[in-house]
Amino acid sequence: MENIKEDFKNLDLTVGDVFSKDARLKARNVNVFYGSNKAIDNVTIDIGNKEVISLIGPSGCGKSTFLRCFNRMNDTIDSCRIEGKITLDNENIYNEKIDVVPLRARIGMVFQKPNPFPKSIYDNVAYGPRIHGLSENKEHLDNIVEESLKRAGLWEEVNDRLLSPGTGLSGGQQQRLCIARAIAVSPEVILMDEPCSALDPIATAKIEELIHELGNEYSIVIVTHSMQQAARVSKRTAYFHLGKLIEVGKTKEIFTRPRHNQTEAYISGKIG
Amino acid sequence: MFNFYLLIGIIFISLLFFIIGHNEAKNIKKINNIKLHSLSHYYGIFVLLASLLPSLGMYFIFTIGDDLLFASLIQNYVPIEVVNSEDYNFTIVLAQIKNSVEGLIFGTPDQWVTDAAEVWKSWVYQSQILTSISCIFTAIISGFLGYRKINHKFRSRNAVEKIVMSILAVSSIIAILTTVAIIFSVVFESIRFFALIPYDDFLFGTVWNPQFEGAERAGSGQEGLSQYGAIPLFAGTFLISIIALCVSVPIGLFSAIYLSEYATSKERAFFKPLLEILAGIPTVVYGFFAALTVAPFLRSSGSVLGLDVASESALAAGLVMGIMIIPFISSLSDDVINAVPQSLRDAGYGLGSTKNETVMKIVLPAALPGVVASIILAVSRAVGETMIVVMAAGLAANLTANPLEAVTTVTSQIVTILVGDQEFESAKTLSAFALALTLIIITLGMNFYALHIVKKYREQYE
Amino acid sequence: MNKKRITPLEATNTVKKSIVKRRSKDNRLKLYGRIAIGLAVCFLLFLFYSIFTKGYPGFFQYYVTLDINFDRDRIDPQGDLSDNSLFDGEASKIVNESLFSIIEPKGRKAKKQAKKIVSSGKDVRIAKMVKNNPSLFGTITKVKFALDDDIDSFLRGYIKRETPESERRISDKVIGFVDKLNQDGRITYEFSDYILKGSASGNPEMAGIKGAFIGSMLTLSICLLISFPLGVATAVYLEEIAKKNRITEFIEVNINNLAAVPSVVFGIMGLAIFISIFGMPRSIPLVGGMVLALMTLPTIIISSRAAIRAVPPSVRDAAYGIGASKLQVIFHHVIPLAMPGMLTGTIIGMAQALGETAPLLMIGMVAFIVDIPNSVMDPGTVLPVQIFMWADFAERMFIQKTSAAIIVLLGFLISMNAFAVYLRKKLERRW
Repeated sequence: MENIKEDFKNLDLTVGDVFSKDARLKARNVNVFYGSNKAIDNVTIDIGNKEVISLIGPSGCGKSTFLRCFNRMNDTIDSCRIEGKITLDNENIYNEKIDVVPLRARIGMVFQKPNPFPKSIYDNVAYGPRIHGLSENKEHLDNIVEESLKRAGLWEEVNDRLLSPGTGLSGGQQQRLCIARAIAVSPEVILMDEPCSALDPIATAKIEELIHELGNEYSIVIVTHSMQQAARVSKRTAYFHLGKLIEVGKTKEIFTRPRHNQTEAYISGKIG
Repeated sequence: MFNFYLLIGIIFISLLFFIIGHNEAKNIKKINNIKLHSLSHYYGIFVLLASLLPSLGMYFIFTIGDDLLFASLIQNYVPIEVVNSEDYNFTIVLAQIKNSVEGLIFGTPDQWVTDAAEVWKSWVYQSQILTSISCIFTAIISGFLGYRKINHKFRSRNAVEKIVMSILAVSSIIAILTTVAIIFSVVFESIRFFALIPYDDFLFGTVWNPQFEGAERAGSGQEGLSQYGAIPLFAGTFLISIIALCVSVPIGLFSAIYLSEYATSKERAFFKPLLEILAGIPTVVYGFFAALTVAPFLRSSGSVLGLDVASESALAAGLVMGIMIIPFISSLSDDVINAVPQSLRDAGYGLGSTKNETVMKIVLPAALPGVVASIILAVSRAVGETMIVVMAAGLAANLTANPLEAVTTVTSQIVTILVGDQEFESAKTLSAFALALTLIIITLGMNFYALHIVKKYREQYE
Repeated sequence: MNKKRITPLEATNTVKKSIVKRRSKDNRLKLYGRIAIGLAVCFLLFLFYSIFTKGYPGFFQYYVTLDINFDRDRIDPQGDLSDNSLFDGEASKIVNESLFSIIEPKGRKAKKQAKKIVSSGKDVRIAKMVKNNPSLFGTITKVKFALDDDIDSFLRGYIKRETPESERRISDKVIGFVDKLNQDGRITYEFSDYILKGSASGNPEMAGIKGAFIGSMLTLSICLLISFPLGVATAVYLEEIAKKNRITEFIEVNINNLAAVPSVVFGIMGLAIFISIFGMPRSIPLVGGMVLALMTLPTIIISSRAAIRAVPPSVRDAAYGIGASKLQVIFHHVIPLAMPGMLTGTIIGMAQALGETAPLLMIGMVAFIVDIPNSVMDPGTVLPVQIFMWADFAERMFIQKTSAAIIVLLGFLISMNAFAVYLRKKLERRW
């Protein structure tokens, strides 16, 4: 905690308090390039323990790219290059010795479009515990699946058809299935990349409620294009613009008293 | 040469009509100073088409028709005692006469053959005159009729477009005609074959020993020796295809997995075309390679191991065929693996799967129908492949599962029977058509099934 | 106890425990993939290596240089350089005399064996030389003659001196003659006159691919003339004009099926329809080209349709917007823009047709034809069929010539495909 202020520069770029007292994830001077294009420019931010933080900003501002840095999903893109440091519990996740597999097991992710595997609901949820060898036996696995589905608020709706394909569910159910799948491997952090953008308002409300509940147990980073959603689900909000982190602060404050004029322009609808 | 000159003549006439029509249109415009409906060259093209198309149609009717007509007329010139003789066969007689017409004379033909050939020649001469006159006449008359239509109100562009559209429509019918021709050419001869040999003997018989009719005529002591049980051929085809699959499926599939999931884009850009070269090599080259490099190698290494490998073995043909179909499996599988949405891979990686787990537990199961379809297509390619088996698998119709022995296949029997001089109407010649029919049914069936799977698979992700 | 929830810490520890095993499994799959590609590439290289090492010597052969007395009276008895006159002449005798003066065979049997050292094409060679250059008459000129294929094989080391005389194809005496010629420095190993300029021949030392090559070109031109216009017309009709209904669907199904029909079946169709019913002659490039055209048609149609589909609708809309008719849009805009793709497909189809053998066997292009075909109505053969026929011959030299012919064929195929790739890269537009 002490030396944290020394290992980054150019803090003046960002308005507000980027630090968190009980930080799990710390990003320091992160730059992301696609080929020669700079997508993320010198971003520094902390993600606190059991904290729900929203990343907002106009489309193309790099918020999703930044989110994908936390579990190294950008590794799958050939042309993508990352500079800077991101630590999970003070361990640099971009260290060469770090294996992405356990990292991603600790940092789960939910995607923009619900993407259940073309398998049964049960197999979808059981996939993670199976590949990681988390369950001791079949009964235990059943428990994990049931527990995860319950926590994702889906159990009541699907417990009679666990063996039917996950792709047969409605969009909102599919997304909750994806959340259940993510929490089945007991992650510490969950990244959500616009999880409601493909859903109708009722399904969105359910997911938001779920995020709210999960926030008591996990650190959740949620990217959203909807300011209302950010206001509803998160305590903290970070505003991105053209790859730069403009302002971070308590959600309430950001939306009521933005300090940076660009944030204000976005909140008031001048940039969109 | 006659045909060539006639065609040139017809084209020349229609080009003349183009100039006439074009000028006429320009004149109307100039003299009357009125606007034509269409651009002037459309009038020229209209007259050209009006002259060219009917005369070309006429030409093709004559050229195709005259041979058929002569063939039926010439029957009258075959002496009655020949017709009544026991082994009379019109196809053979016709071939004799035609050979004589073309100046191919074997031995001393009967007088009536020479006479008939003379008559035929005179018909050909008459038909050439008739064809030329009627084609050129048609070209001029219909061109003139087209020319008469030219006036400033005539919508020549619309007329030309209508004609061109119908030409385009007619060309697309060629595909149907080809299919009909294939079915027609195979089915009729097969029906005749099954009239001689019961179909269950053919489909379920275990001995394939076709003999020419000459060898089994009554009294030669060879009668009834021919047997047309196709099981050994099917078994041989099956055996070679299985060997080929054993080579190509693992190599093709693992290559596809590597190229689509592990390879860098540079590796992919280099190796993918390299693998596809394998598909571009002519089959006769593979056949040569199988017969002169692989087979002797297998034979010598077999003798080192104390195995007796036939000089033409199913193994050699199958191995080389396997190499040939690697790219079919690899690029088709690559396509279907790439068609699996990236979001599924992301979901896998997001949960912390390794690449292996993502491929084996998510991508491959999702792509499975497509992979199966690509394997079926490869099998159908292997079943229909001809040159490799003709050159490397041999002709011995052994019913065996031993890959070290020589076997024969459906395609290699077709080639052996139909290449060179055939005896018309003999069960042996006809059997090739029956084999071809089964070959078509098998390959098309597999193709249909594979395309069906692929279609369903595509729909799943659209 | 199974009811317990796994804490993140437990999960992390479990994952860490198994990770080495999972990583090695992952690397194994990667290794399998590499091995598979490596194997395929090895097969390819080995195939090329084996063809090339066998075929490279096929472009060369052994020649013997002899001093020939161009005596006009003996070579051209009628003095008019006509084929008849040259045929009546004693060119072979002169060659033999020159040969005998060096190796001095004793007795009739030895002479008979000695004559066979020089290829039987010697008189044709002399006839050709004097026809091209009558001023040779009256001179004594050094002329190179191909050696007989057995001698050639001996010089290459395929027939071994150590083999007992009864088991090899040439006698000790002949070996003695060859040694003598060698001591005189008269035997040379050079680029073969025959492989590229000669035609089919029963004598391997004189066999060449010119006839088959011309046959291939004639067949291919017919194929191109038929399949390109038909293929493009069909593609245009199906993509731009036809409404989607049962008939067009049926046509599409037909095209897809034709692409799957084994090539040998097209040969059977050619035999049954073109030859038996239409009464066209066998073995001619015209029929061969027609059969190959029908065979390559699906390839051309499918790629042309893809090319047409790649032309963006905005181009069509723009043209319609200024009042162009449907055909004007098609001929002025769609076809020119789709042309690179169509040409690429056509070249690939032509390459396929150039390498095709089986259907041409069916329509009799397998006949042994010495004459070089002059038109599409002359009997002829094509390169792949020539390869097939030569591969069947027992003589050692034919194996080399076959491989040499394969090198030529592969050279053409590779350059055609490379050209197609170049065309696609060069002319392809990205919309």
